[in-house]
Amino acid sequence: MSVPSGGALAALHEEEALGKAYDARLLGRLWPYVRRYRGQVLLTLLLVFPMFVLELAPAWIVKTGIDRVIAPALGGDALARASAPSSPEHLVWLLRPPGGVAPLVWLAGLYLAAMALGALLQFIHATVMAWTGQSAMRDLRGDVFRHIVRLHLGFFDRYPVGRLVTRATNDVENVAEMFSAGIVALVTDLLKMAGFAVVLFMVNARLAFATFLVVPFLAGATVVFRLRVREAFRAVRVRIARINAVLQETVTGMKVVQLFAREERNLRDFAQINGEHRDAWYDSIRYDSALFAVVEAAGGISVVVVIWYGAGLVTAGLVAIGTLYVFIDWTRRFFLPLRDLSAKYSVMQSSMASCERIFQLLDTAPLVVDPVVPVMPVRPVHGGRGGAVEFRNVWFAYQNEDWVLRDISFRVEPGERVAFVGATGAGKTSLIKLLTRLYEVSRGQVLLDGVDLRELPQAELRQRVAMVLQDVFLFSGSVTDNLRLGREDVDRATIEAAARAVEAHRFIERLPQGYDTELRERGTNLSSGQRQLLSFARALAHGADVLVLDEATSSIDTETEALIQTALRRLWEGRTALVIAHRLSTIQDVDRIFVLHKGRIVEEGNHEMLLARRGVYHRLYQLQYRAQEARALAPQAAAAGGAGGAA
Amino acid sequence: MTAGAQGQEARLAGGDGLVSLAARPGLRRLLRYASHNRGTYLVWMISTLGYVGMSVAGPLLVGFALAAARAGLPAQELTKRCLWLLLVTLLRGGLRYWSRTLVFNAAREIEYELRNDLFAHLERLPQSFYFRWRTGDLMSRCVNDLGSVRMLLGPGLLSVLQTPILIASFLSAMIAIDAKLAVLVMLPYPAFILIARAFGRTLHRANLALQEGLAELSNGLQETVSGIAVVKAYAMERASERRFDDTNRELYRRQLALVRANAAMPAVVSILPGAAMCIVLLVGGHEAMRGPMTIPNLFTFAMYVYEMTFPTFMMGWVWSLVQRGAASMQRIDQVLSVEPSIADHRDAVPVKSLRGEIEFRHLTFAYPDGRRTPALRDISLSVPAGTSLGVVGPVGAGKTTLASVIPRLFEVEDGQLFLDGIDVNRIPLRTLRRSIAMVPQDSFLFSMSLAENVAYGLPSADLVAVAEAASRAQLARDVAELPHGYETIVGERGVMLSGGQRQRTALARALALRPSILILDDTLSSVDAETEAAIQRGLAEMFKGRTVVIIAHRVSTVRACDQIIVLEEGAIRERGSHEALVAAGGLYARLARDQALEQELDVEAVA
Repeated sequence: MSVPSGGALAALHEEEALGKAYDARLLGRLWPYVRRYRGQVLLTLLLVFPMFVLELAPAWIVKTGIDRVIAPALGGDALARASAPSSPEHLVWLLRPPGGVAPLVWLAGLYLAAMALGALLQFIHATVMAWTGQSAMRDLRGDVFRHIVRLHLGFFDRYPVGRLVTRATNDVENVAEMFSAGIVALVTDLLKMAGFAVVLFMVNARLAFATFLVVPFLAGATVVFRLRVREAFRAVRVRIARINAVLQETVTGMKVVQLFAREERNLRDFAQINGEHRDAWYDSIRYDSALFAVVEAAGGISVVVVIWYGAGLVTAGLVAIGTLYVFIDWTRRFFLPLRDLSAKYSVMQSSMASCERIFQLLDTAPLVVDPVVPVMPVRPVHGGRGGAVEFRNVWFAYQNEDWVLRDISFRVEPGERVAFVGATGAGKTSLIKLLTRLYEVSRGQVLLDGVDLRELPQAELRQRVAMVLQDVFLFSGSVTDNLRLGREDVDRATIEAAARAVEAHRFIERLPQGYDTELRERGTNLSSGQRQLLSFARALAHGADVLVLDEATSSIDTETEALIQTALRRLWEGRTALVIAHRLSTIQDVDRIFVLHKGRIVEEGNHEMLLARRGVYHRLYQLQYRAQEARALAPQAAAAGGAGGAA
Repeated sequence: MTAGAQGQEARLAGGDGLVSLAARPGLRRLLRYASHNRGTYLVWMISTLGYVGMSVAGPLLVGFALAAARAGLPAQELTKRCLWLLLVTLLRGGLRYWSRTLVFNAAREIEYELRNDLFAHLERLPQSFYFRWRTGDLMSRCVNDLGSVRMLLGPGLLSVLQTPILIASFLSAMIAIDAKLAVLVMLPYPAFILIARAFGRTLHRANLALQEGLAELSNGLQETVSGIAVVKAYAMERASERRFDDTNRELYRRQLALVRANAAMPAVVSILPGAAMCIVLLVGGHEAMRGPMTIPNLFTFAMYVYEMTFPTFMMGWVWSLVQRGAASMQRIDQVLSVEPSIADHRDAVPVKSLRGEIEFRHLTFAYPDGRRTPALRDISLSVPAGTSLGVVGPVGAGKTTLASVIPRLFEVEDGQLFLDGIDVNRIPLRTLRRSIAMVPQDSFLFSMSLAENVAYGLPSADLVAVAEAASRAQLARDVAELPHGYETIVGERGVMLSGGQRQRTALARALALRPSILILDDTLSSVDAETEAAIQRGLAEMFKGRTVVIIAHRVSTVRACDQIIVLEEGAIRERGSHEALVAAGGLYARLARDQALEQELDVEAVA
């Protein structure tokens, strides 16, 4: 069993809530994915008949050998001759050797051919079925991903990443199992078993009857033991989940364990659940071994029955001895799927459960959608750029009525530069997120060039508004990939021009493979200053009307600081810019400043005006100025701060 | 898994011969565990022999019974022989049950012991170990690797030991009947074993490739979801989809490879025994027509051929299981071989309790990860028993490190840290841990009731002590709001407490111990000023007579301390009382001024 992710017990309980093994509704939803490959499905179903015949063949060939070649050659056995009738005449032509070939050689050759062909068909059958399943699952996985990506941001706040990943991987795998060991295999097995039973009865009804006497007993025993095994298994799974959870917790909190000298007591408790787990295993081993033994014994008992009753019939001249071989072989093949039947049932159950979870996800509707009838904002008549932003009586809360923004109203003209300042939690970041419609307003409106964001297609909105976030998220890929972010219309020249404009070109060129350098996940092989410059280049390359910038607060060296200043000035040239400002220089550069406090705009104006008021802005300014001054005086301390380890 | 271990695994898995030298210490240790169960294994061997005996007897009796029919013997004779057959069959079933149960039980018993030992060992390992080893790696060894070892001891052992005996016995019986036929029939089997082994390897590789593909997919998905804000902000949905489709297609390809390998198994399992049966029919048939070979004996041979199929296949197939088990045992052995370096010294001074005097003498400490800059440099400081020490400084200055060496969470050299005048390395760990209570930065709580968490360091969950500690930590009000009060399960699998509540619970946990030395690392950072003041009032009472070390970011938290030090880059930059430091106008003074401004604004400083 692999290492469980966090919340192992919770996940287990989710897993344990198994319902029916067959849910027509769920299967119905799965059908469109399979329908695409219905040709393959048909093929596998058609193969079942020849496969069955090829399973019957080997034993029959041996019987023919025994009854028609060997026994007659031994002669003196009038009984043997008299018991030919069990071979229907129309089959005999195949078994008659062509002239010149010794009969046994011919039969041996047929035997090999039958085995080889049977194995081949079996291989094809299993492969095609599983192939169908995998193709359908590939399609399903793609749909799940496509759906996830279109969901609204608020969804991701509540749904843990781990669970999403499980849906797309483990759950889809479980559903795929259905195709190889689930419903089709189940049906095939049942058909085969019925087939064997019918054929055996056709050969010799009395012997068949005697042989099948043991079947109900075996079936009953199998079901009973299998159920017990399953229960025992469940107990084991619960206990191992608990052990692993305790283990993980102990290792994670080892500091506390040692600080409070809990080693001995924890060991005692652990030994106890460890022991309980082992005892649960003892139970399941018992039932599992019993199952094995019973199946083997049942096979053996049916052989005894065949031999005893059958030999009696042979002595009485009613049955050829070779028929006994057929009976032994076919009965064995009958029992084989019986043993695995209930295992397949469990597979179906877990597949159905996974199926349900996947469709639950697919049924979640995205809350931020494009309008049915989109409205395109009109560009200003005088040919200038667009980019007028307006907030009208906007109220916003992430949950319920925990208002983060209260009655925000303001208007920014195209080309204007405004800054938002305020304490942590004042609502600045949320404001930014509303502007790019990552979240929807609770009350009020956000308008871009006079058009409510809800009436604008999202793609259009993202085209017109470029966002530079505080946490520069870089994907694993080359520098170029990260600057282009998947847009094909942004060519290399545009990217380089953008990089040059924000003073990023130089350091990019100095990287090992220049623009093609692979960035590690989250861009950890770059300094934070470099990442900021990259994010500027990214925004510039996308060429939007409006720039929304959430300035990073982490400290960087003065040189990069100066670079960023220049880059920023280039970036917002000719654009409307809304900036959450943390840098002194930024504040001094903007046209207007909005001061946010506890979700409201409390002051507005330019830098000098606000300072003179000696209000909230004044205090904030003093604080931040001083903080920056302190950082400027002791840059090494800040740098060491990052490298310090657990300090 | 470290690169070295991975390399080992690769070598072991790919190698054809015996298990490599590198895995031997692990196997030696495993043998020791196995010897604890030698009684069980002995009985298992006996039951196996019985099982083999019955397995050999079965087909012989079938032939015997059929011979009675062919010879026209009376019905009673047939019945008698069939009854023997029935007896053998039933005995065989019973012995199969017994032997299988024995070996699997032994495997589970060893797993149980190993797991206990791992747990106990991990508890004794110092923090420096946990600094180097990642939790995921450790968990993998305790879970996945342990599982592999169990597979080695269970199905692995079963197949590798039992099967050869079975096959050898079958062969002997067949030779006794007809040597020539026996040899010819056995011809395909060696090839079968090799094919099964190759098959096992292919399957294993296909499985690994699949696991990698799945990991790739989930990593990609995780990345997309983590950066979903950027994905949306830059309308990257379609680009993300394209990337995903690539990974998806690759995964599909790997799935198909595994599907093919899996589908080949039943085919492989049936062909070679088919070839053997063919030989029985052809050669045996001819012999039956001519000579001493009889039809009943043909049946016997046919049954042996059938019986040998699956065990032979399993033997080849489980070889990789065995190799993996050996490699896993090696990885477990790696952990068990680590010396628990923080242990009682031979010359430990037998003190039962401490008064709480702390003295640092030129303490220098570096983390064991090869970093050349020491985390603490030349710290000399004296904290008399019953006084309070405040430690402030920027992030990464070494404050927590300083606190962590006092209860000996990290090793310092002799002669650098003294408690009550005794070298910290000479104080028995039990005394040390009982006299010192630390509230670490991350306020980790276990998945148990709140009361149990608070009473973590106490011998039992004494509700009176718990309630008192909780009230001092200003936790009582919060407890009243919880669904089950003190019995509410908290931690990862329980109710999620807020950051502040967790910190106060951790504080209560430390207070409940009534320690001589109390260390608070950033304990009140998630708490608002009002609650902080209330806590400090309550704490003032508790602090009397105890040595208290308070690490904080806020000056207001430490201003009442008897002495305050300002740490920066591992060294003490300023020290003195609050008033003295403010007057000195250095780092501390600036910090104090900024925070005062901040309080006016009711806002947190931009750090």
